[in-house]
Amino acid sequence: MSVKIDPNLMKDLKAFGMKDANKCMHCGNCTAVCPLSTPENPFPRKIIKYAQMGLKDKILQSPEPWLCYYCGECSDVCPRGADPGEAMMVMRRYLTSCYDWTGFSRKFYTSERFELVAISIVAVLVGLALWIFHGANPDMEHACLNTVWPAPAIEIADIIMGTILAFLLLSNTYRCFLFVMGDLRKKIPLDIYIGQAKELLTHFLTQKSFGKCEDRTQWFVHLMIMTGYCTVFLLVVVFLAGGIHVIGLSWDKIMFQRDVIYPFFHPVRLLGYYATFAILYGTTYAMIGRLKKTKAPYKNSHATDWMFLMLLQLTTLTGILVHFGRLLDWPMITYIIYVIHMMVAIPMLVLEVPFAKWAHLAFRPVVIYLMGVKEKYYQDQKG
Amino acid sequence: MEKKIAVYICSGCGIGDALDIEQLSKVATDDGGVPICKIHPNLCSKEGVELIKKDISGEEVNTVVIAACSHRVMYDAFSFENCILDRVNLREQVVWSHKPGDEDTQMMAEDYLRMGLAKVGNMELPEPYKPEEEISRDILVVGGGATGLTSALEAAKAGCSVVLVEKESELGGYQKNVKKIITFPYKEVQDNNIQGLIQEVTQNDKITVYTGANIEKTEGGPGIFQVFIKQNGSTAEHRIGAIVLAAGWKPYEPEKLDDRFGFGASPNVVTNVMFEEINNKGSINRPSDGRDVKNVAFLQCAGQRDPEHLPYCSSICCITALKQALEVKAQDPDANVFMVYREVRTPGQAEELYRMAQEAGVIFIRCQSPEVKVSGSQVNVEAEDELLGESVLLEDLDLVVLATGMVPVTAFGQDITEEGIEENEGEEEKKEGEEEEVPLDLIRRSNILNLEYRQGPELPALRYDFPDSNFICFPYESRRTGIYVAGCVRRPMGIATAQEDAAGAVMKAIQCIELTSKGAAVHPRAGDTSFPEFAMQRCTQCKRCTVECPFGAINEDEKGNPMPERTRCRRCGICMGACPERIISFKNYSVAMIGEIIKAIEVPEEDEEKPRILVLACENDAFAALDMAGLHRMQYNAWVRVIPLRCLGSMNLVWIADSLSRGIDGIFLLGCQHGDDYQCHFIKGSELADIRLSKVSETLDRLALESERVRFEPISIVDYDRLPALLDEFAEQLDEVGPNPFKGW
Repeated sequence: MSVKIDPNLMKDLKAFGMKDANKCMHCGNCTAVCPLSTPENPFPRKIIKYAQMGLKDKILQSPEPWLCYYCGECSDVCPRGADPGEAMMVMRRYLTSCYDWTGFSRKFYTSERFELVAISIVAVLVGLALWIFHGANPDMEHACLNTVWPAPAIEIADIIMGTILAFLLLSNTYRCFLFVMGDLRKKIPLDIYIGQAKELLTHFLTQKSFGKCEDRTQWFVHLMIMTGYCTVFLLVVVFLAGGIHVIGLSWDKIMFQRDVIYPFFHPVRLLGYYATFAILYGTTYAMIGRLKKTKAPYKNSHATDWMFLMLLQLTTLTGILVHFGRLLDWPMITYIIYVIHMMVAIPMLVLEVPFAKWAHLAFRPVVIYLMGVKEKYYQDQKG
Repeated sequence: MEKKIAVYICSGCGIGDALDIEQLSKVATDDGGVPICKIHPNLCSKEGVELIKKDISGEEVNTVVIAACSHRVMYDAFSFENCILDRVNLREQVVWSHKPGDEDTQMMAEDYLRMGLAKVGNMELPEPYKPEEEISRDILVVGGGATGLTSALEAAKAGCSVVLVEKESELGGYQKNVKKIITFPYKEVQDNNIQGLIQEVTQNDKITVYTGANIEKTEGGPGIFQVFIKQNGSTAEHRIGAIVLAAGWKPYEPEKLDDRFGFGASPNVVTNVMFEEINNKGSINRPSDGRDVKNVAFLQCAGQRDPEHLPYCSSICCITALKQALEVKAQDPDANVFMVYREVRTPGQAEELYRMAQEAGVIFIRCQSPEVKVSGSQVNVEAEDELLGESVLLEDLDLVVLATGMVPVTAFGQDITEEGIEENEGEEEKKEGEEEEVPLDLIRRSNILNLEYRQGPELPALRYDFPDSNFICFPYESRRTGIYVAGCVRRPMGIATAQEDAAGAVMKAIQCIELTSKGAAVHPRAGDTSFPEFAMQRCTQCKRCTVECPFGAINEDEKGNPMPERTRCRRCGICMGACPERIISFKNYSVAMIGEIIKAIEVPEEDEEKPRILVLACENDAFAALDMAGLHRMQYNAWVRVIPLRCLGSMNLVWIADSLSRGIDGIFLLGCQHGDDYQCHFIKGSELADIRLSKVSETLDRLALESERVRFEPISIVDYDRLPALLDEFAEQLDEVGPNPFKGW
């Protein structure tokens, strides 16, 4: 069966940020230098070939874009300036949009206007909701957020939002699984999937593959953003009510964001500080890098890259201000900042997690895990 | 001329420390009876040179032997007018490559001095040759394409009158059909300005243009070519100094291609040349119905790099295809353009063009053997993409462009060696019996120059029928002196290189005229004013000299007597080596002279256990390699005695017989690489020497000597590090064979 070339894919990929992949002459230096490329899953050259030839199906089945952490060494050694690292990044954007069955992701990535409008609409809706549904007797003497927006109500909203997002992200991840594993997925016995599950968690938490890249700073920065984000995610989703209050699981000593101000060394407060510092450090480093184009991964910035960093940093900054507002006990300022905080954080979660950059927190470890499963399966077949 | 010899020994550069100079000077004064022998610590210095000059003017010295460094260095310091000169190489080949203060090193130095004295004793000052006819400074340019036109203009700019001959009725050549060109610095596709070039040429009053003309006959040699140009039934005659051959190329015939290229199966399968013609008519359209193209595939290497068709790469088809692809993209940016290639070859700055095509969205498919599939009006291409590892199908192509290659016009016409087989060459073969035959040159009757040369009417073809030496050191040189090759007839090239070539070849032509007018040789012995003289009364009309001269410098009369055309001569001495009667000699280079040099080597008695090895070394590479070995202070045995030859092809077998009968134990011949990738400066010299050597067994048998005593080794200058080991190994081999029984006879 001969493959057919689709010259239009390259044009399509341009909207996802593809710029220089046409320049590739397939010398293979990028693949040779990449510490993560393996004989079973060689990249980035192969993926660039698929892009040049417009082989959409092959790209869809490729796990390689998720195996790359974008250290940028390939782009540094490329003799043609084809920027293979960026091509892999574009592929991740493209794949995210392909995995997304709603079609929302595609619009979000390919139209800056759509991206801005979508975020603005969600922000306004959040603002309106907080305006309309505030508590009956807000405490204007002291900064007590729970008197304006009672914790249980926030929690319910949180759970509704979480469920919808989880459904979207997981369904997209399932599609990713279908594409990447193809027919093999049914052949592999379940116990291999279970046996390898540990790897999923390790890769998620440590991103140890990234450690194989030469530029360890990128790994560290990435790890900071990821752990900071996950910590705050845990605080917001799980510890908001000291557990999941609605279903009766809670312990009020570890409740997050209560009007009680915990002592400095209280674990929740410390976790909050860690998350704040980690995200602020990571995003600032990345933003300066992108502004100054200090290294290959920062040389090309898609609109969604900036949006992601800005939302994350704004969320953190407004979070810090809320914290200070509460410490200083300035009720009105705290409430206003809190509204702004929510108007930034929620669009970020709602739009970025299932449809855009944040989705990679699911796709990447899952694909690495699936490759482990595949490898194990082939090993067993041989043995 | 009464010779008054003076010897100057330099004791600088370590010579004085390694040798007993007093002892050495006695070789000149006592044994040689030389009236003046002076020692100087730094002979190449101003004072040293003054010392010599003073003797020349004051003491009436007219023959100078300088025992110092190699003749390859300091030649400008040691240059004395009207003086016979020899340089004895004490530095590189004696003290720098042998043990200092050693008896054998001293013997070597003394031998070399004796050899130098023998040399000057047997040579005369050459007198430059001046033909009776006046030397013409006009340049004939053959071919009115881009190369020829540029050549004509370049020559005119340099002040030469030019005669330009074009076969077709119009000037412009192939470029006439080309709409857009790509040239240095390969940044953009440009409009072709061939019409401007034609106008410049036709308006230049130094250039006489003949179109629709051909050269009926070319007589004579450099400076005195007589060219007969036939146009419209009448013949014009011109006296010409030198010729630039820019006769161009023809596309490889697509009908000969393999069926898989589908040529002829659909009108929409065309060649790159046909593409240019279609484009030049207006727009790039589908030949079957004239509609603009949407899907175009370029298939590279159509019949090229294929031993069945053209074994070589035409080097420009990739550039042409990229240019054409860009033209398709310029006409319709949404058109799908595919390039199926084996390797994209875009040398030098042309790489920029490759990038441009990539950025324009041309899709590249690497495939060794694409297949064109035609069914009805549909043309598809199936190609196994090596980078994908899968077969790719290109469907509904409007145009498939095949990259056919360039064939030089010299590749057409019958080979004269084939037509001559039944007649005279057959007889010769019988006469010579079992001896290895000197291979005849491939010359085709391609009706370009129609030379009145005994050896054939056109330039001898070298590899792949191109008349140019493929050796990088000799660009534009053909094997006929005064005829320089430029453009696509020299090797496949694009317009950028062709125009550069045009200027280069004109420069060579002007050099040739300048040197010829001074009676001097051209490359590689530029400036040499000696020339071969024939002692005709002893000639046996064997024709060896006319057959073996690589440059066709010797014509023949009806009786077979050689008639040297002196301005064609390159002074290599190959004729001198070829002549069995030894009637050919130069004033300063002769069979007798080398024979006397060999006699000057002292051969110690057998019981002294000091064997002697005669090294006959090509001056151009092997001798230089020996110098290099010395320069690197590499040591080798002190039994060798080196005699530089103009070319190993000038080696006469009598020297071998002479040496062996004098008791010299072995003879080592160092020449250049021959064969397809020859490096011989005189093209066939080392090959001829090797062939002659195959006949030496007869001599050895007569003397009852072992064949191991004579050995040929190809050496180039970069092989200098191999030399000491080679020489020592040969000495060991001779040691095993034992001493030459003729010692002391």
